[in-house]
Amino acid sequence: MNTTRNTQFTPNLDARHRRGFIWRILFMAALMTALVVLVALMFSIANDSFGYVVVINKIDPERLALNVINERLLTMPNTQSSADDTALAESITSDPNGIGFFGSAAYQQNRDALKPVAVDGITPDRETAVSQEYPLTRPLYLYTTGDILAQNQAANVFLNYLITHANEATEAAGYLPASEADLAQAQQNWLQANPTLPIPPGTWPAINPDGIDGRLTISGSSTLYPLTEQMLAQLAEAGFRAEVSNENAGSTAGLAAFCRGEADIAAASRPIQSDEIELCRENGRFPQEYPIAADALTIVANPALAFLDNVSQAELAQIFAEAETWQEINPAWPAAPIHRYIPGADSGTLDFFAQQVIQQELAALPTDDLVRILAANISVGRGRALEREQRFYQDKLVFDNPTAWNEACSQPKGARPSGCTAPPRTQAEIYDLVLQEVVQPDVVETFPLYDTLLKGAAIQHQMAAKYPNGSLQFRSWLTKDFITDPQSSTPEAAGVRTAILGSLWVIAITILFSFPVGVGAAVYLEEYAADNKLNRILQTNINNLAGVPSIIYGMLGLAIFVRALEMITSGALFGLVDSTASANGRTILSAGFTLGLLILPLIIINAQEAIRAVPTSLRQASLALGATQWQTTWHHVLPAALPGILTGAILAVSRALGETAPLVIIGASTFIVVDPSGPFSKFTTLPIQIYQWTARPQAEFRNIAAAAIIVLLVLLLALNATAVYLRNKYSTRM
Amino acid sequence: MTNNTNGQTAIQAHNMNVYYGSFRAVENINLNVAPRQITALIGPSGCGKSTVLRSFNRMNDLIPSARVEGEVLYHGANIYAPDVDPVEIRRRIGMVFQKPNPFPKSIYDNVAWGAKINGYKGDMDELVESSLRQAALWDEVKDKLDQSGFSLSGGQQQRLCIARTLAVKPDIILMDEPTSALDPVATLKIEDLIQILKQDYTIIIVTHNMQQAARASDFTAFFNMNEERAGYLVEFNKTEDLFTNPKNELTERYITGRFG
Repeated sequence: MNTTRNTQFTPNLDARHRRGFIWRILFMAALMTALVVLVALMFSIANDSFGYVVVINKIDPERLALNVINERLLTMPNTQSSADDTALAESITSDPNGIGFFGSAAYQQNRDALKPVAVDGITPDRETAVSQEYPLTRPLYLYTTGDILAQNQAANVFLNYLITHANEATEAAGYLPASEADLAQAQQNWLQANPTLPIPPGTWPAINPDGIDGRLTISGSSTLYPLTEQMLAQLAEAGFRAEVSNENAGSTAGLAAFCRGEADIAAASRPIQSDEIELCRENGRFPQEYPIAADALTIVANPALAFLDNVSQAELAQIFAEAETWQEINPAWPAAPIHRYIPGADSGTLDFFAQQVIQQELAALPTDDLVRILAANISVGRGRALEREQRFYQDKLVFDNPTAWNEACSQPKGARPSGCTAPPRTQAEIYDLVLQEVVQPDVVETFPLYDTLLKGAAIQHQMAAKYPNGSLQFRSWLTKDFITDPQSSTPEAAGVRTAILGSLWVIAITILFSFPVGVGAAVYLEEYAADNKLNRILQTNINNLAGVPSIIYGMLGLAIFVRALEMITSGALFGLVDSTASANGRTILSAGFTLGLLILPLIIINAQEAIRAVPTSLRQASLALGATQWQTTWHHVLPAALPGILTGAILAVSRALGETAPLVIIGASTFIVVDPSGPFSKFTTLPIQIYQWTARPQAEFRNIAAAAIIVLLVLLLALNATAVYLRNKYSTRM
Repeated sequence: MTNNTNGQTAIQAHNMNVYYGSFRAVENINLNVAPRQITALIGPSGCGKSTVLRSFNRMNDLIPSARVEGEVLYHGANIYAPDVDPVEIRRRIGMVFQKPNPFPKSIYDNVAWGAKINGYKGDMDELVESSLRQAALWDEVKDKLDQSGFSLSGGQQQRLCIARTLAVKPDIILMDEPTSALDPVATLKIEDLIQILKQDYTIIIVTHNMQQAARASDFTAFFNMNEERAGYLVEFNKTEDLFTNPKNELTERYITGRFG
């Protein structure tokens, strides 16, 4: 008997377990799908919000800073400048307080009459230059392109010969040899331009120049001219037959000729600048850099200055850019004035000194210098507008004239410019202004986070070739400025402050309208309404309204709130029309009411569910004590239902916060830079802003749209967290 | 048969019929409840004893389809008359339910709330203490009045519900199977409590437990249902007499356990 029973039941049980197991796997798969979707969503947002960008500045900020420093160096008291190194050397020789600097070649010519000064304890010579110990060593460059080397055999062989033999010749010509790293770079660049040479890797092929002919044009730096001449002479001896033109034109002219396509090789005593790279690019040339020798910027002093054997870089900066007497720098030194002899403003040597020794970035420049940069680079009209927005100095005007200023500021409050009362701009604010108005950084290419992380090296290579004057930076589009700045038509400057404020205003009106009305309706339907036909129709309607597409609510809002009730929603009835906005009925109030209507059915249905879930025994207990219906509802039913009501309200409000369609219909502004000032203001909201940005053609708008989505999500989470906190605080069940 | 022996009346049902929609749940009830006595309503399941009990303080009003015909006289006035406010009736005729249903509030507030909403002007602490003492709960809860009513055991919760009812100072307390959800020890405590309460209150108690009716009540009403499933009063008498000397054969069969 027992056995029969067991054989009847056991297989059945196994099948039931199996079925349960399959369902469990299916449910888990459903959960996993949801998780994967969530992760994918997060990633796709982060993918566009962060990543590499290529930025090209209209004006190099380093150049701006350098100009300011050069200016400061040249205008120091007791300072003379000359483009002629020999003249400088003579002046220093004849002045017992003279000090100056120039290239090592010039020092070699005048070494008997001058005293070299060690920097940081290191004297400039061959060894310290090759090892790059001497801090003021700078490379000297040849520039050409891979294409030229591939097509012009003469240029290719010339460069090969130079890289092979330059270091042997440099000292004789008064140069220092190129550092090992520089030379390795030059070799690598040349090898890249000659990829087909059959040589084992890591070796350097010295090509025999015998019999090579063709044409070769060199143009550029006077510093490098003696070196190139000497090399060409050696080549000619070795049988190099090419027709060569070597022009001593100066670094800037040489590079310009090269970039215009007039020279095959440019010689320069300074690195190529971004505007020159841009010029080259326009002519289809992508310059390659060949550091083939080095120059040590030498500090020289009159031999009478016996105490001056060695200075630190900090002291050097003081000597040329701050102090008037020697004593100011070091109390042990004499009180005699410093007499400075430095190269002229157009000199690469002065730039190098300023860059290397003074080392001041644009962001660190004092207010006066920044304002001077602004004044030199923007129109007076623009400057005046900026000044009226906010002054640069408390006590003086830079762009405006006092009469016009006083006139503008004597206007009544509201009409007069904000600059009349606002505190002057800070150094950081002026720096931002210089960036915006003068440097004008422009994002020319952006990469998603995925590519940035996985193909970073490849991107770096590609972009270095495509935009030699651009800088590749990792950029987070979500910054503090993005949140605090208003909308702008340039994506780099655009922010979401207006949209955040608009969203908060609209959602506040929505909550204030729909929560009390919705909960009230739910209480009536659940606690008071008789079960009759009318109330059943009402209930059915409410249930159906929850499923009506939101755009239909938008049309309802347009017809009722924007048009029919314009007197109220525009504020005209209360005399509160915002004169700058002229929003008609398309105000925050209309939007709040429209979204309120949209979520009203949701709130009612959820509140009804919550109220229905309150046990009848609780109501009976209250009523049996002689409580009225209202006392029962207020003291027992609503508190017990509150968690459920709030949960429903959170979901509904989250939906309202993310709504776009109805707001588009009722006329939310898509471009607005003025913060909303009240319920009668024009407005935009975050979803509208995101929608509008994604519709723009420029790629960067997609990035800031993604960043705005993050802001929206965080805002949503913050609102929900607040609601959950309130729910837990006020509905503590005993 | 419809009158108690001493002739005094706390509440009286007179030709009372209760309908749920078109269904007649109880039929033609005539019942005189004696003041300061315990009256037990017994009978098989579905015979309408709870319906009769709930008719005494108009709790049936909460069921949308319920309707009462006939009269329920309280102090000589029909509580179903149009000018009578059920809220006032319920304050004077309190009710204790089958399952303990304290409010989700502190023990103190559970007792004080009814008095507060009914506009009690006196010393609330004193009222709470005296109500809890009357409900024989004070000694067990006096140190934790601010704790939740749900923190008590089932029997304590039911006594808390009784204390809550006492705090609004009713005349009559209706009890709808107040011990059916409790263990025997808690049941005995409630029964003892009812015996004490009868000195000040009229108590009507519905019970399934015949021993309880025999033990704890002064009068017993036995209900049964007819062929249309409508409840009717079979016999009403002093408990002693009804259990020892039932006049009706149905009553005898029921109390001896032969049906029901």
